[in-house]
Amino acid sequence: MSLLETLKQKPGALVACDDDPEAVFDLMCSKGWSDGLPVIPPTAERVERMLAWCDRDLDQPVLNIPPRFGAATPVRIAANAVMAGCKPEHFPLVLLALEALADEQYNLYGTQATTHPCTPMLIFNGPAAKEAGLNAGQNAMGNYFRANAVIGRAVRLALVNIGAAIPGTGDMATTGTPAKFTFCVAENEEQSPWDPLHVELGFPRESTAVTVIAAESPHNVNDHESLNAEGILTMVAGTMTITGSNNPYYAGQPVVAFGPEHAATVANDGMSKADVKKWLFEHATLPLSRFSKDTIERRFRRKLAAQYADAPLDAPVRMFAKPEDLVVIVTGGAGKHSQYVPTFGNTRAATRVLKRADGTLAKSLNDFKRN
Amino acid sequence: MAQLRKRGLITAVICSDTFMKLGSAQAKVFGVPDLPLLEIKHPLGGLSMEKVRERADVALPQLIRAIKAIKEKQA
Repeated sequence: MSLLETLKQKPGALVACDDDPEAVFDLMCSKGWSDGLPVIPPTAERVERMLAWCDRDLDQPVLNIPPRFGAATPVRIAANAVMAGCKPEHFPLVLLALEALADEQYNLYGTQATTHPCTPMLIFNGPAAKEAGLNAGQNAMGNYFRANAVIGRAVRLALVNIGAAIPGTGDMATTGTPAKFTFCVAENEEQSPWDPLHVELGFPRESTAVTVIAAESPHNVNDHESLNAEGILTMVAGTMTITGSNNPYYAGQPVVAFGPEHAATVANDGMSKADVKKWLFEHATLPLSRFSKDTIERRFRRKLAAQYADAPLDAPVRMFAKPEDLVVIVTGGAGKHSQYVPTFGNTRAATRVLKRADGTLAKSLNDFKRN
Repeated sequence: MAQLRKRGLITAVICSDTFMKLGSAQAKVFGVPDLPLLEIKHPLGGLSMEKVRERADVALPQLIRAIKAIKEKQA
């Protein structure tokens, strides 16, 4: 008997429902299994088709998802991927993202339960991202493109359904963010003047990788006028310097996602990615006086006393602790816009490369197809 | 806190009312379902010292009761 046949025999494994889209949607919402949008019914046949693109042990957890610490086995993750609308060939990338979230430095427990409005931002690099249909061009952080929508959504559904990040009991976000439906982007490597993120981190260019970051929603940087690097970066720094994000208080890795045109203007002035990070580290600062009196006294002077106990009111408050902490990518299409993405703070970005079960680098999503 | 409890120390967690469900669920997840949760009114952040003292006044008798209950159980 196959694993799925065995699982189907377990009490409660199957739920009967009328074969009608509205009935299915009503059932999913009543059980708390949806994100509030319609889902594809995760029938055993569909889950089995999803798992045809998985070379891992189907009943071995990839991670245990807090706060419930539910065992995220490929079978359970596949059910959520079906619900999200994934094609089977998307499944290796869903698993990869969840593997990255298991990295201790990401702090999945804290990011799941916090009052802060963070959610995993998934940044994909490499050939399999393109093969999966991930859009890195026009509207790269927006709607319309299936792979971006469903891969990010599958991860979110797994975090809720397996990890019990249920609003009010396991996910205590005060307001949350619309990015909690999906926040899945690919880097526009063809139009980037710099090495893509995974190459910068030391992985082979031909590998496929995901970097996960506990992110807020993106904040736009509109600059239609600047003609050189200093101009563009001045506008980026202005967008980064906000009192309400977590980054001035906690070590964290905020993201600057340059639109290709802004990136070209900056690079044409001879600036490398490292130069950009250094420039923004030095210039994206707020004087201490810009924070509220109570925030200065209670947070900066006491909780961050080592740095600010006696600091003058014009002391610079930085948005990240050291230049290399800033994550810089290029994504999107034509136009004079970039994005700044603040983060949770008590978290580090985690990157995982797409590998087959035997540990070799995957060249294609087809490498995961079972015969 | 769960680790301290498992080592036999008397432990308790101060929890604002809004977070009680999360607190009790996590106590079960971490294998200490009887971990005392001292319930105070939400919020705890952004309060004047006077309001913090009010919450301490509510938490303290609960802490004493929790210690007594654990002592009686151990006796």
